[in-house]
Amino acid sequence: MSNLPYGPPVKISPLIKFGRWSFLTAGILYGAFHQNRLSKKETKLREIEAKEKVIRDEKLRKEKEIAAAGTIHYTNL
Amino acid sequence: MAAVAKLPSLMNSALAAARPKFNIFLQYAKVELAPPKLSEIPQIRAGIGKLLSSAKSGAWRNQTVKQATLNTFVGMEVIFWFYVGECIGKRHIVGYKV
Repeated sequence: MSNLPYGPPVKISPLIKFGRWSFLTAGILYGAFHQNRLSKKETKLREIEAKEKVIRDEKLRKEKEIAAAGTIHYTNL
Repeated sequence: MAAVAKLPSLMNSALAAARPKFNIFLQYAKVELAPPKLSEIPQIRAGIGKLLSSAKSGAWRNQTVKQATLNTFVGMEVIFWFYVGECIGKRHIVGYKV
């Protein structure tokens, strides 16, 4: 301890130490809680998106077919 | 190529140079960053009581600019630990990775 270049370590007020550690633990809990909540929310959204994608792809395919038929139709006019 | 070949020795010398400084850091950190002891609870309660009473009585306005600046910085540092903890809790540095 005597070979420390910046003098003896500063005595930190117990209140500051308590504040640091309680904020740190509160932050860990807050982060974990919201990570959990948001990832659950996001997986639900992903499921809905997957369902909607099937419908949308079908719709797009039909539209393309109609468009292809439409160009023939117009050229025949 | 020569630079790549030098990399391991560079790393080793950087580590060797950093180690004594890290040891000094550890010696300070063990004292200054230690969690509060159970025996310090009365002091913590007294500190909280002092904060509350100075907030109530308006005594916090009777300090010099220097004291107020230092107290603000200390308060900011204490609150930033919350964000460090949040980053640890969400296991990602920027934003929530879902």
